Amino acid sequence: MKLVWKLLRQHISIGQLVGFFFANLFGMLIVLLSVQFYQDVKPAFSQEDSFIKNDFLIVSKSISTLGGLSGVSSTFTEEEIQDIEEQPFASGVGKFTATQFHVAAAFGINGAPSFSTDMFFESVPREFVDVKSDQWGFSEEEGVVPIVLPRSYLAIYNFGFAPTQSLPKISEDLAGLVNMIIVVRGNGMERRLEGKVVGFSNRLNTILAPEEFVNWSNHMFAPHEDTSPTRLIVQVKNPADDSIMQYFGDKGYEIAEDKLDAGKTMFFLRIVSGIVMAIGLLISLLSFYILMLSIYLLVQKNTQKLQNLLLIGYSPARVSMPYQLLTIGMNAIVLVISIVLLGIIRNYYLDMLWSVFPEMDTSGLMPAILLGLGLFALVSIINVVAVRSKVMKIWKNK
Amino acid sequence: MNRITLQNALPNVFAQRTDIQSDIWQTDAVFERGHLYLVEANSGTGKSSMCSYIIGYRHDYSGMILFDQEDVSKYSTNKWVQIRKSSLSHVFQELRLFPELTALENVQIKNNLTHFKDKKQILEWFDALGIADKVDQKIGKMSFGQQQRVAMIRALVQPFDFLLADEPISHLDETNSGIMAEIMMQEAKAQGAGVIVTSIGKHMQLPYEKVFRL
Repeated sequence: MKLVWKLLRQHISIGQLVGFFFANLFGMLIVLLSVQFYQDVKPAFSQEDSFIKNDFLIVSKSISTLGGLSGVSSTFTEEEIQDIEEQPFASGVGKFTATQFHVAAAFGINGAPSFSTDMFFESVPREFVDVKSDQWGFSEEEGVVPIVLPRSYLAIYNFGFAPTQSLPKISEDLAGLVNMIIVVRGNGMERRLEGKVVGFSNRLNTILAPEEFVNWSNHMFAPHEDTSPTRLIVQVKNPADDSIMQYFGDKGYEIAEDKLDAGKTMFFLRIVSGIVMAIGLLISLLSFYILMLSIYLLVQKNTQKLQNLLLIGYSPARVSMPYQLLTIGMNAIVLVISIVLLGIIRNYYLDMLWSVFPEMDTSGLMPAILLGLGLFALVSIINVVAVRSKVMKIWKNK
Repeated sequence: MNRITLQNALPNVFAQRTDIQSDIWQTDAVFERGHLYLVEANSGTGKSSMCSYIIGYRHDYSGMILFDQEDVSKYSTNKWVQIRKSSLSHVFQELRLFPELTALENVQIKNNLTHFKDKKQILEWFDALGIADKVDQKIGKMSFGQQQRVAMIRALVQPFDFLLADEPISHLDETNSGIMAEIMMQEAKAQGAGVIVTSIGKHMQLPYEKVFRL
């Protein structure tokens, strides 16, 4: 084998192989990076949401200056709600029900109250809540109210308030440890309850309590108030559907499209990753082409030697092997180096991501490694087959 | 393999010719294992073509070539590899040595495949043929006559039923040609093999059992 290699390495162009090596390295790295980045960032946006399958719109009636003063109702009637439900684009409608009584909340850590505020709660049916928590629910005996806050509140605190006041950043887990005493008052009664932050929502821009609690407390503390909703949450099948804008425009409703909508963010993330990946694949493809040309040229230049080896009894498989091993070796080195580089680059961007999304749990390098191995196998198989077919042409004296 | 038969074979390039008078082409020519043959030819009569057909390198002929009863045109790649490795040895007229390798390496590259002879035997042959001092010399730096001797040694480091020697002594003097013939016949006898020598004039002095005019 040593002698065969000594023969067949003649005319190997280091320049061409180096060219291939770097081209393939960049291509592979870009492909792996795009996939890895997508995988790493995905959990930060998607949470429990399934990707783009559902999209949600928050619908309200417009509040004009005149209407606000003249007291025109901005609540939705049952007929209006039913009409929305019957639209073909809607796959579900949920009502925002607000508490109609006085609520005060006091916050503290380890039982020592630090500040208190007046507030309110809203609820939507459970299926519209994008935080899945086993604590979501309410029973009068326990007196614990699970609360979901908009994720933007935490962001405002962590990136707006905390740094300027030299306060520590709060992670989502830490927020769950904050004690909250809720005092509800109305209908001549007062009740102290315990509040607990169980999660943060991207979708619902309100202070959310379970529907059971809001219904129970409205019944208890504000039995005579009207609880008609002022806002609706509508689940649509396809948010890009024209008829949605048309319908709500005709009715004069306003749509608060969730800017942080996970579905859309994911969609764009996916498009961007896809474009980057396509570029990486293109570079990989070109580098692969360089390698094939280089190997073809090499085989061409060494045709005489290959032919002689075949004529003295070497099999085409054995004669092909040095070039096949050369290409497989190159591909393997490229794979290993790109995974190492990927690991290094990933460490940089993970630090950044963690400062923005402290909760993010990442999936590790596995997706990129698997894809890398897949690409490696595919390219190597094509290389091996191409070299073999080239040698067979020499065998057949063509 | 006990018998090579050329059955009504004719190179395609001769297809238009009507004046062929040959002991090989367009007739039945049989080479038996254990016998010694000379194929005498003038240039341009298809001697190298014949060798290429028998070794399976070219297939541009009509008629049939049979190894025992088998038509070689049906042979698979693997079968040919096996034949070249262990049944049919060939000293090429154009030698087909590797100029980048030394004389010894040129023999070893074949012996590594067959593991048929040890290095001692190979060096003895180098010695006998008077090129012991050229063992580590690059083939490219050697004369054609010296290269012919290396090519013969390479042809002997494999088991064979037939040895096909295409003008093996064209550039050798009487003495060396005699030594080469002796070594070749010794090895062929040891293996019970048939030997087919071709020549266009000068040929090895050997007790040929049959002479074919090409």
